[in-house]
Amino acid sequence: MALRHAGLAFGAVMRRDLHVYLSYRTRLVSQVLTSVFSLTLFYYVSRLVHVSGFPSPASYFGFVVVGIALVSVLYSCFSISEMVRQELIAGTFERLLLSPFGAIRGVVAMTIFPLLYAFMLAALTLGIGCAVFGLQLHWSTVPLSVPALALALLSFLPFGLLFAALTIATKQGSVGTSWVIALISIVGGLYFPISLLPEWAQTASHLQPFTPATELLRHLLVDSPLQTSTATAIAKLVGFAVVLMPASLFALHHAIRIGQRRGTIIEY
Amino acid sequence: MTPHSLQEPAPASERLALPPLDRPLSPAMPADQGMPLTLRGVHKRWHKSQAPVLEGVDLTLDLGTSTWLGGRNGAGKTTLLRIAAGLIDPDRGRAQVWGFTAAENRARYHRLLSFLPAGDRGLYARLTVRRQLRFWARIAMLEAALVRARVEETIDAFDLGELADRRVDRISMGQRQRLRIAMTFLARPEIVLLDEPLTSLDAEGAEILERAIAELMERNGTLLWCSPSGEPLERHFDARWILAGGRLVQE
Repeated sequence: MALRHAGLAFGAVMRRDLHVYLSYRTRLVSQVLTSVFSLTLFYYVSRLVHVSGFPSPASYFGFVVVGIALVSVLYSCFSISEMVRQELIAGTFERLLLSPFGAIRGVVAMTIFPLLYAFMLAALTLGIGCAVFGLQLHWSTVPLSVPALALALLSFLPFGLLFAALTIATKQGSVGTSWVIALISIVGGLYFPISLLPEWAQTASHLQPFTPATELLRHLLVDSPLQTSTATAIAKLVGFAVVLMPASLFALHHAIRIGQRRGTIIEY
Repeated sequence: MTPHSLQEPAPASERLALPPLDRPLSPAMPADQGMPLTLRGVHKRWHKSQAPVLEGVDLTLDLGTSTWLGGRNGAGKTTLLRIAAGLIDPDRGRAQVWGFTAAENRARYHRLLSFLPAGDRGLYARLTVRRQLRFWARIAMLEAALVRARVEETIDAFDLGELADRRVDRISMGQRQRLRIAMTFLARPEIVLLDEPLTSLDAEGAEILERAIAELMERNGTLLWCSPSGEPLERHFDARWILAGGRLVQE
């Protein structure tokens, strides 16, 4: 019964975020346009510059489209900290804390809508890539990209939760998130292959889940060759999720408890 | 505020399987287990260089009673309510609902106790009044079958019908306060803490609040009302306390 109530509360948070999102009528249009502009830019870059390691401009374009789609997922993960900051300012975080549902579950629930939305936006980006720019998807493995992306989200999510904890502690929503996203874009190989990076940076790129997630999704969506086996990529993502998820929840719990002890949880 | 007498549990308490009030009292926190809300030796100091805002505050609230807590601005009334609500921790001492603290059973604590913070915050500006209430009903983890009916009852009880489909950022401050109060009473808590509830309320809003409190008292609930000393209050309270110099004194 308690599980059912918690499930309904998770659904309520998701619906709340959907309604808030829909109340800003031009948001979807502006995000779709951003995707279209990015795709257009890289479409012409792929035709202008010969990129070593790619047999044709189309293969680099396919590579980068998956990267662009994953960037939106990345932004969604890190948007949680800004959402938490807005809740702190509005005083609604205090309400969550005072509810039987609780603040930790509340913050975790806050991730559902942005991630589903990012999932949809990623699909839309790929769809536009196919329909407008002639992107060739590897259809036989495309369905497998759905569970692969879900697994990738589980390994990305702890980063969002850690930044949410940091926001509760520092009251600043974007403490370094833009730097982290930029850094991940580089070392995660979202726009170019990590083989172009210096060796030390290549080592760093394997210390986070974005590289195996990007490689795996590229393999499933556009048939890019994998550096390792599919099983290794999946194992890496599972490993990151299993280690980082409890750590991020602990950090969140700790940030809230420290805020309650010091009385700073009510500050914003 | 009453002596530690034992009374029959309220029907709501039975529904939530609260500890029976006729149990023999043991030396370990005996009286507190039989009381809806107790504060014991509550200390809080915001900065080391400043005097403590609360210095060993003791307060016991009994079933079916209403208590007023007053004091000057900055006396620590809101801090005391936040501690009682389980929002912040005291430096020393404890706040308990039926003998347990929020840290021991957070979900149950907040199921039994509801807190209206001072000010006009705690609302989602872009949600309609009805969606706001539905959201809080879910977060309060009400029975799924009850949610819709309870929300509509609350809309009626707090006269929010005309506003129900309007966004919160498009209603007046007084109407928002009525909504905040409606949210506080939505899940029919046993213990209600109100911090300056009359802020922005007109006479009609104040009357609606009185009706909600009367319903709480009928359910043998417990009320702690906090407002600055000097604010004209027409309602009767069973006990009246002033917070001064970090301690409670009877008015």
